[in-house]
Amino acid sequence: MNRSSLTSTTRLPALPKWLRFRYFAWALGIGAFVGAAAYLEFSPQALAEGAPRMINFVRQLFPPDIKVLPSLIAPALKTVLMAAVATVMAALMSLPLAVMAAGNTEMPKALRGISRLLIEVARVIPDVVFALIFITAVGLGPFPGTLAMAVHSVGMLGKLYREAMEEIDPGPPEAVKAVGATRLQVVRYAVIPAALPAMVSDTLYRFDINVRNSIIIGFVGAGGIGYRLIVAMRLFKYQELLMILLLILGIIWVTEKLSDRLRAAIFGQPLLR
Amino acid sequence: MMLEVKALSKRLPDGRPLLKGISFDVREGELVGIIGLSGVGKTVLLRCINRLTEPDGGEICLRCDGEEYRITGINGHKLRDIRRKFAMVYQDFNLVGRLTVLDNVLIGRLGRISTLKSMIKRFSLADKEEALEWLSRLGIENLAPRRAETLSGGEMQRVALARAMMQGCQVLLADEPVANLDPKTAEEVMGQLVEITEKNNLRTLAVMHQPELVRRYCHRVIAIKEGIVAYDGKADIDEQVLAHVYDKASGASKVA
Repeated sequence: MNRSSLTSTTRLPALPKWLRFRYFAWALGIGAFVGAAAYLEFSPQALAEGAPRMINFVRQLFPPDIKVLPSLIAPALKTVLMAAVATVMAALMSLPLAVMAAGNTEMPKALRGISRLLIEVARVIPDVVFALIFITAVGLGPFPGTLAMAVHSVGMLGKLYREAMEEIDPGPPEAVKAVGATRLQVVRYAVIPAALPAMVSDTLYRFDINVRNSIIIGFVGAGGIGYRLIVAMRLFKYQELLMILLLILGIIWVTEKLSDRLRAAIFGQPLLR
Repeated sequence: MMLEVKALSKRLPDGRPLLKGISFDVREGELVGIIGLSGVGKTVLLRCINRLTEPDGGEICLRCDGEEYRITGINGHKLRDIRRKFAMVYQDFNLVGRLTVLDNVLIGRLGRISTLKSMIKRFSLADKEEALEWLSRLGIENLAPRRAETLSGGEMQRVALARAMMQGCQVLLADEPVANLDPKTAEEVMGQLVEITEKNNLRTLAVMHQPELVRRYCHRVIAIKEGIVAYDGKADIDEQVLAHVYDKASGASKVA
């Protein structure tokens, strides 16, 4: 330590070895990025040439067509309800799966493995694919769309619930176990109460995501505001399209505010006295 | 009518012996303090007695109501049945913070009601009355509707005691019950621990770190050193013995 600081004051140190490669590494990184962009057919020239057309398109969006707003209320409500019902169903399915999957609930190993696998499968398969599967069973409509979202949401909620349970302080569950309680009683009286705040928060977060997803699911025939969006685009009704986009923005803003409020109401203030 | 621990042994995960044949009895209505250096295995000893930790060898036997219960060598629901007779209180209380005080006390009853009923919190009126009764005996019945996480340390330990008593326990295992409490509260809780032990004929083992509290409140003291019982006798322990237990005179390290 002492020696090196001494030498540095007396003589400039030689450039460290890694520093000599620094410029080369930068060049390599930039080159890789440009190469990847080129592979994806990036063309600044095309973007510049097409800019007027783009501006023209955006101009056609204005003004938003307020007259269609009343006819959008029912589809918008449908979209939000699909998200809400799907989230509740997902929560109900995720809870038992997460209890079985969690490492600290002492469930049989086989159950643990199966539930972890189910959660993983639900997450890996996109909800649009689940929607297609359920459409083959029950036809088009909001029902298969809602089912699809519910099942896919289990992939995230199951995993997040499991993590919420695994992260709790091990003391209270052990104390309940020491009383002579069964494993389910330990889960009911120590694990779930401790994990509940995180689980509620996870569920509200998933609801936010599901509101967005139910718009996409609407594209593939589940109806709702997403269906109106795709129809407006196909029929070149751009002013209606902008109105729909503004409404979606409003819905997402409101659901976010609502879930924030709900979170604060439940956990902001401890229930004293 | 006593709790017997015979030749209890336990190795550390790396194979080194921690407890090398611990034997002692605890009589009814007796509060026995367990002392020893940190890391000597006092907590492990307590946890072996209700099998939260699996002992490697030895026998634990509870004689009460004319019956003999062997705690070692049983599993499943038999172990759960026996655990009801062994209550435990902890240094950090281990209450379920988000449940009410009353619910925390009722948790002591979980071993006696059906799992199905307990899933929807169906405790009988008699159970609830008894829970309130224990809270009032410990002087904290006014806290019953409060969330456990809002209590002070002394209040929490009393709730933990009430939970233990709701078990209808025969043996009370207290792991440093007053280590996280201020001196005054510690005295109060120790006083209640002795009172409960004597009135309910419990066999109580308390891991302790304050020799003066042991002298004042315990009936007897067991000292553990290097995996064996180094002292078992009157609670008014001599300074010399104490120095030996805590390695004060020799200055030798417990790391051997």
